[in-house]
Amino acid sequence: MLVTMSGVRMSYGRWPALDKVDMEIKQGEFLVISGPSGAGKTTLLRLIWMGDKPDFGIVEVSGFRSDRIRKRELPRLRRKIGIVFQDFRLLHSRTIFENVALPLQVTGAGSRVVQKRVISLLARMGLSHRRNSFPHELSGGEQQRVAIARAMVGHPVILLADEPTGNLDPEVSREVVDLLLEINRGGTTVVMATHDPRQVPAGKGRFLFLDKGVLRGADQWIELEQKS
Amino acid sequence: MSIIRSALREIAINLHSKPGARLITLLMVAMAFIVFNTFLIISWNLQNIMDREESLAGMEVFLERDITQVEGRVIGDLVSSLQGVKSVYYVSPQEADALFRAELPGRIDLLDVMGSEFRLPASLQVAFDGEAMSQGRIEDLSRSIRAMEGVDDAVYGESYLPGLMKTVTTIRRLVILLGIVLVSSISLVVFYTVRLSVVRRSLTVDIMRTVGAPWWFIRVPFVIEGIFMGIAGSAGGLALAAVLSEVLSSAVTHRFMPLSWIVLVILLGAVTGTVGALAGSYEKER
Repeated sequence: MLVTMSGVRMSYGRWPALDKVDMEIKQGEFLVISGPSGAGKTTLLRLIWMGDKPDFGIVEVSGFRSDRIRKRELPRLRRKIGIVFQDFRLLHSRTIFENVALPLQVTGAGSRVVQKRVISLLARMGLSHRRNSFPHELSGGEQQRVAIARAMVGHPVILLADEPTGNLDPEVSREVVDLLLEINRGGTTVVMATHDPRQVPAGKGRFLFLDKGVLRGADQWIELEQKS
Repeated sequence: MSIIRSALREIAINLHSKPGARLITLLMVAMAFIVFNTFLIISWNLQNIMDREESLAGMEVFLERDITQVEGRVIGDLVSSLQGVKSVYYVSPQEADALFRAELPGRIDLLDVMGSEFRLPASLQVAFDGEAMSQGRIEDLSRSIRAMEGVDDAVYGESYLPGLMKTVTTIRRLVILLGIVLVSSISLVVFYTVRLSVVRRSLTVDIMRTVGAPWWFIRVPFVIEGIFMGIAGSAGGLALAAVLSEVLSSAVTHRFMPLSWIVLVILLGAVTGTVGALAGSYEKER
């Protein structure tokens, strides 16, 4: 298993964010975690990249356990993970090329390797002509593609996408989801958190639902929806 | 080596980005240092005035008339070994005569009245170690000297010297106290200003963390920036204070602070800038 969560509980002060979450994510899977705002989707993703540690329970990601990992080991874990956020989180004082190159530069990759990898990835994303532009000169869809390129540049084993279409119009959202599916077809595990699971076509991934911090399968969710 | 090159590139990018915000931070630091530097200039000049006043304060020890020059110098050595005595100068009868004539030209006739056989007594001019002296000490010292064989009398400014010593001591203590308060305040101002400028770029720190940058890669550029801001801000404050000092020099006679103090001011800027940047980056890295 690439990711295992067992008995995970997490709260912010007195506000419970996740409750008794048990979950496994297999290598090469496309997992969609859905649920309304405040359901705990972002918290769940933060636990995977160990931006937070659970109050109770254990999260294990690619051999790193949340209860054993040392602070100095966190960068090694995070280099195996690519993260895409709803608000893109691009550095506005840097060019598109510099934004995408950042994960390689922090690992000490040589400039030729960086050049080659970034240029090829930008070409794959259809952004070659934009490599010297700054983020504010790009549309929302283009910025999100840059964020995906930055997440993918270090060959991560897992890509976490937190509401990646939240700031985009429906057409561009479809393009972004298609891009994530394509990345998944290449063998990268993708975990996408979204409030709208219909963005991912049925049969293209596994669907889990978060309801007030409690994780439910698709069947349970449909049952709950029908009751309400 | 590539990661170090990348870290150096980060430092360059940090120093080049948002020049407006950086200028405001620099100005804040410089303004804080102007207040501090003004205080330093005032206290430096006050210190000089007090030193000069103290050097003028002393005791005159008149020796008995039959004391020879050798005996007089031996008594001088004994006096100089007493606690609280900074220096002793032996004034021979001939020198005393010459001094009298030079300092009191209108009273030379007094010496003529006393006759050709009259000679002023030899004396010792005793300077005090100002910091070690108090009213009680001076009185003890004068008693000890008066009790020495060959000493006729010892006189000092009983009416003003103890008060002067007390005033000087009080001023010195006040300057130290005010200095501590100002150093603490300026340290906090620089610390919070630099820290804020780091926290303002929390997005950079967040992204660095998520892409797996090691802690030193995140912090070092901020620390370098903090050192730069601290040094540049304190140097700017010094330059502005120097201009102010020059402008006021015709109205108020004073001297600018010594080189060692200038170095300390810049060092203070560097240290507080570094600590502020470290705190800011640590706060965001957690």
